[in-house]
Amino acid sequence: MEMSKHRARTARREFLAQAGGGFGGLAAIHWLSRQLPGAESPLPELNGGLHHPAKVRRVIQLFMNGGASPMDTFDYKPELERLHGEMIGPKEKPEGFTGAVGAVMKSPFEFAQHGETGRWVSSVFPHQAEIVDDLAFLMAMTTKTNVHGPASYMMNTGFLLPGFPCMGAWISYALGSISDNLPEFVVLPDARGLPYNQKANFSAGFLPARHQGTVVNAGSPQPVPDLFADSQYRFATGEADADTMALLQRINQHHSEERPSDSDLLAQLASGELAARMQLSALEVFDLTSESEATHSAYGLDQSETEEFGRRCLLARRLIERGTRFVQVWSGPQGAVNNWDNHADIQKELPPIARNVDQPIAALIRDLKSCGLLSDTLVIWTTEFGRTPFAQSSVGRDHNGGTFVTWLAGAGIKAGASYGRSDDLGYQTAEGKTYCYDLHATILHLLGIDHQRLTYLTGGIDRRLTDVHGHVVHEILA
Amino acid sequence: MRRFCRARAIVVVCVVVYIVSAGLGSFAIGRACGNDGKDEGTLYFREQVEPILRKRCYGCHSHLFGEMEGGLTLDWRSGWEAGGGRGPAIAPGKPEESLLIRAISYTDAVLQMPDVKLPDEEISALTEWVRRGAPDPRTAKPEGLIAADATDWWSLKPLVRPPVPDQGERNPIDAFILNRLESKGLSPADLADRRTLIRRVTFDLHGLPPTMDETDAFAADHRDDAYDSLVDRLLDSPRYGERWARHWFDTIHFAESHGFEHDVFRPNAWRYRDYVIDSFNRDTPWDRFIREQLAADIFFPDQPELTVALGYLGAGPYDHSAASTAPMSFEYLDRDDLVTQTMGAFVSTTANCARCHAHKFDPITQEDYYALQAVFAGIGKGDVLFDSDSAIAAERRRWKVLLAAAEEGRADVLLQPDNLAMVAEWEAAHGKSAVWRPLNFEPNTLVSSDGATLQRLEDGSILSTGTRPDKDIVTVRTGTELSRVTAIRLEVLTDDSLPHTGPGRQDNGNLHLSEFQFEIVHPGSTEGEASTISQATADFDQAGWTIRHAIDGNDATAWGIHPKVGEPHQAVFVLDSPPKIEPGDTLAITLKQLHGRSHLIGRFRLSVTDGPPEDVVTLPADALVALDVSTGERTTEQQTALAAAVLRLRAEQELQGLPSQQGVYAAAAKAESERGVVIYDAPREIRVLKRGDLNQPGEVVGPGALTAVSAIVDLPARFDLTETQPEAARRAALAEWLADTRNPLTWRSIANRMWHYHFGRGLCDTPSDFGHMGGVPSHPELLDWLACELRDSGGSLKHLLRLICMSETYRRTSRPTEQQVNIDPENRLLARMSRHRLDADSYYDAVLSVSGRLDLTMGGPGIQHFSTSPGAQLTPVLDYNDFDWDSPGATRRAVYRVVWRGIPDPLFDALDFPDLGLTAPKRGFSVSALQALVLRNNRFVLHHAEHMARQIELMEATCSEQVRTVVRRSWLRDPTPLEAEALMSLAEEHGLAAVCRLLLNSNEFLFVE
Repeated sequence: MEMSKHRARTARREFLAQAGGGFGGLAAIHWLSRQLPGAESPLPELNGGLHHPAKVRRVIQLFMNGGASPMDTFDYKPELERLHGEMIGPKEKPEGFTGAVGAVMKSPFEFAQHGETGRWVSSVFPHQAEIVDDLAFLMAMTTKTNVHGPASYMMNTGFLLPGFPCMGAWISYALGSISDNLPEFVVLPDARGLPYNQKANFSAGFLPARHQGTVVNAGSPQPVPDLFADSQYRFATGEADADTMALLQRINQHHSEERPSDSDLLAQLASGELAARMQLSALEVFDLTSESEATHSAYGLDQSETEEFGRRCLLARRLIERGTRFVQVWSGPQGAVNNWDNHADIQKELPPIARNVDQPIAALIRDLKSCGLLSDTLVIWTTEFGRTPFAQSSVGRDHNGGTFVTWLAGAGIKAGASYGRSDDLGYQTAEGKTYCYDLHATILHLLGIDHQRLTYLTGGIDRRLTDVHGHVVHEILA
Repeated sequence: MRRFCRARAIVVVCVVVYIVSAGLGSFAIGRACGNDGKDEGTLYFREQVEPILRKRCYGCHSHLFGEMEGGLTLDWRSGWEAGGGRGPAIAPGKPEESLLIRAISYTDAVLQMPDVKLPDEEISALTEWVRRGAPDPRTAKPEGLIAADATDWWSLKPLVRPPVPDQGERNPIDAFILNRLESKGLSPADLADRRTLIRRVTFDLHGLPPTMDETDAFAADHRDDAYDSLVDRLLDSPRYGERWARHWFDTIHFAESHGFEHDVFRPNAWRYRDYVIDSFNRDTPWDRFIREQLAADIFFPDQPELTVALGYLGAGPYDHSAASTAPMSFEYLDRDDLVTQTMGAFVSTTANCARCHAHKFDPITQEDYYALQAVFAGIGKGDVLFDSDSAIAAERRRWKVLLAAAEEGRADVLLQPDNLAMVAEWEAAHGKSAVWRPLNFEPNTLVSSDGATLQRLEDGSILSTGTRPDKDIVTVRTGTELSRVTAIRLEVLTDDSLPHTGPGRQDNGNLHLSEFQFEIVHPGSTEGEASTISQATADFDQAGWTIRHAIDGNDATAWGIHPKVGEPHQAVFVLDSPPKIEPGDTLAITLKQLHGRSHLIGRFRLSVTDGPPEDVVTLPADALVALDVSTGERTTEQQTALAAAVLRLRAEQELQGLPSQQGVYAAAAKAESERGVVIYDAPREIRVLKRGDLNQPGEVVGPGALTAVSAIVDLPARFDLTETQPEAARRAALAEWLADTRNPLTWRSIANRMWHYHFGRGLCDTPSDFGHMGGVPSHPELLDWLACELRDSGGSLKHLLRLICMSETYRRTSRPTEQQVNIDPENRLLARMSRHRLDADSYYDAVLSVSGRLDLTMGGPGIQHFSTSPGAQLTPVLDYNDFDWDSPGATRRAVYRVVWRGIPDPLFDALDFPDLGLTAPKRGFSVSALQALVLRNNRFVLHHAEHMARQIELMEATCSEQVRTVVRRSWLRDPTPLEAEALMSLAEEHGLAAVCRLLLNSNEFLFVE
């Protein structure tokens, strides 16, 4: 048996040595990875920008699923206290409201001013209150629908309907990878479940499928599905895997040498090499044990309420640090509980979900700042719509696309800035209205991309992330 | 850098023209001053102003886009001089007095244009222009709504069969192709060898690889017609329909769940899938395929089994949440999706681009677009019920017509001889009135769930008094001396204590009985045994609240008696199989009254009978009166009243006796969804929406299609339908428009798709867009010839496929010569075949095939390659890793797997299975490290590598034979000695499964030559 094994290895080694030989092996991988269909010549270093110099190289987006209430978090509305209990809302149920419109309801939370900018923050965000001077706020974001599905599509893809590429996919398509060892666009959903629209929020739509979000289940022993073969398949793990893949590469190489100048075959070959490298990097990136105890504790990994979201924030930092371009971190699954869709009782439902994210978010900003990553990283906090200043039943709030809050921090952002204002009730925008188009245009602008020139022809239209809209919000840019 | 160069065609052209003219312009001024009147002002206008107007204003204020909001046009001088409703838009030299400048500067609170404020530099440029006196050389009135040149476009030209180039006796396809090759000085590649050919054609027609035996046999078959018979055999096989149906599903974004927030499964969608497979296998003529899918109900009323074809209308996503909470915008966008799907799939037209403004590139007006919305304005998505047996369907139709006539009291129908015969028959069988025995209750056997006081009166009736709850469930129990109960009578009676004297407790005297239940409780038991109620009749039914609602098992529907309050009523419930009553048994009757707002029964009395069922029905009062008059002496009204009552009962009984119907997920005027049965009584009124905004409705539009195309080939642009025609007539009219032999788009569209699926690229490489933004065909004459051939062959796809497969063009090798690569790197001229990677479905089926695991069972509900568990809301949690690949049906072809719109299968996802939120006329082909990892490590691949190895190990004794066999299965050839040795060593060290895994990942397996 030993003899036979030995003979076998020798035979294979001979094959590996003999077949082909003209191919440059790993050296060619870098070049080949640029030839993958759908990622034509991504620019390796984009400080020159695609269309103008870039300030941002990487992005972390924090998405509060369900419609985070503005007037209970960042949009202080003293007028609500004065009008509390009055029936002044719309008489007929507006499109997309889920219930009848109740009386005006003041926020049950205390507001106070924070930082040198004196920004009002409610008591549900004590940690973010400490970093407000680093953030720039869009105080009058608005959307075209009051329904979760289309609203989530809109904030992610710029369209109300399914099938369009999300921002992360567009960015991956436009800029390609920073590193070949990790996916360009990673999504970290809440461990409790996927958001509204499930994975369609992370879709590449009509862009090549490789640009879709790679969903990573942070808490799972197999965070990226199919990264390795399941251990029950012993012929596909360990040494067997390595030997098989080495031979596969050689056979594929031989195959493509017989069919010269076929870039599809070469790309397939290159993807095999890249796969092996991604396996190694992924193992390292998901292993949080190398982070210090202080870091664990700063992100709240030592507390049950913050552990899950904190882990994903830390992972987001590790991913962008190692070359992932865009990471989206979701808070809250679809459903009636554990998210930001606080229909029944704002006082009961908002604080726990706010606590889940507050400390980790503040820790993330501080961490990025202290390690210097914030100088070329953009962090965005957003949601799909706001909530009504009117009560639903008696103490909840209904969906309201009229106005909501988004903040940005990091590279290219004017820290402490604020743009736009909602009306006195916080029901509609009053001035400086911004749509997802403007937010997306601004993010692309920071990445060195002119949102009007990033297009993909499909179905008779040069499609854009910003449809036919979008203005860069210069007011919040440094 | 392809992706950044393809900017909007028109804009680019304009900018380029102006830059060029500007550059030359200054030169021209120096050379021949004043020659063309180009002064500085004109230059300023052309360079600085016109691009802004074009980009920012024309959308709403130009002839080009057919939009003249407020009566203002800005695409010629006279436009702004005359101005709109507010007067001249510009006062030359005076920006501050110019409406245009005030509007764009947002200085005026009520006049702010456009919706999003222009960048400052653009505002300055326009202001400066006006300050300079608004020089504007555009004196000619621009072209009308649809520029003449917009219709001068290859895809819109009437379809005329082009002559076949003279290339000797050849397949006409080759004649066209060779003609072009010759003109470019290219020589065609050699024909591919037989092994390559059988693999290629089997994948293309079946989506599967050939077996080794088939390959060997074909390679050894030297008869002249060996290849012909192979193609015929493949086209005759049901595998063909399975393969080509998948293409159609991509094209129309068919999937088996809703997508959106509540991504719910559609358990009846599979019937449409089976229909499409069957249609391709039968080679249903293309025009008929169009008619069936859009309006089978109108075209083929005698073939109810074709209802499944309407699944086409339900193919796309459905936003359940928006449907409930934001119905206006939901319906609008849902219709938009259907318009996009239909016009893209059948005529390769992007009509949806004309939703907010006239199509920017193609001759499609906004009115055209909304006319198309009007076609689908009378339907909603959901399960549509049908009888697959036409005899039963006819029966159902017959009794439904009679039932409707009875409910409407239509003497012309009811008094027809055969109907009167049925009445006479009933009267003969109908004996004396049944003897009813009132039930007597002891007070403690009367229970109100919600606290009403149930008081027993002298006459045995029960009065509900005291607390008046919102809802109530009244349960009563008693014994009886009868040994058999055939029916129960419920009388609801008036009482002075009730509002309007009752019989209900609602303020208006009404009541709602949600459900009536009858049970027998045996001695010693607390649980009752429920009896099925086969029939319920009442002397009066409130409109929409019939007594049948009290036995339909649905708490949300109920019986009511409004407006006939203030008088007693009665209902009779007949038991399906009259139960025997043993001594000691107790009868338990439940009256659920769950409508709310105190729609409660105020006073009631219950009686039972053992009389024959036909004697116990309750007829409406007027029918009872008629019954007392002898037959010959009844007035027409009395005859009608009796006939209506009797025939209604009869029709109901007959309908109940029919086998239950099947459902298909589709769209119709009446369809059942999670929201219940949604009915469109009449199509929605469709208006042109300014900027596509629901809040800016314009003129009403009737159903129709594309005006410009219609004019070219003499088809109706608007459908001539009357108000009284059913909504389906609209769909039928569009189907006729699409299926017409004169429609040039239809035939080009499908011919091009068929080419696309054989050569990896259509002759026009944008299969769902033949407009100005789409591709231009590489071989326009060939495309037209194919389109004519398809149209003139009775729409037979198989005929065209046979022609394509038989052509030498299709049979060439994919190994290009240097000359071919140099002259035609993209292979647009088709001197050779292009190599391509297997699509997700073909890869999946090929793995099953070579591992010997392919289950060829056809039809029926789809296979779910995942486990489901309840989600937080309606969307379940899907686990694709938790699937038993050895379970029954697990290894059926990919076309039978359930495609969940919002939660894709990672394996298929990695191989570019499309996102079916939108239509997918082409599959993408991307390559990535993650894709490689999925192919290597996905459980499906590993499991089948293992299976394959195990099977071969049982078949072949030696390692070398085993390796040879797995290689032959995967690559359809013997391994080279070098390969054999290397693979054997892998097998010896890590097992044959490792070799199988390698083969399933190899490029030779993944690619088709």
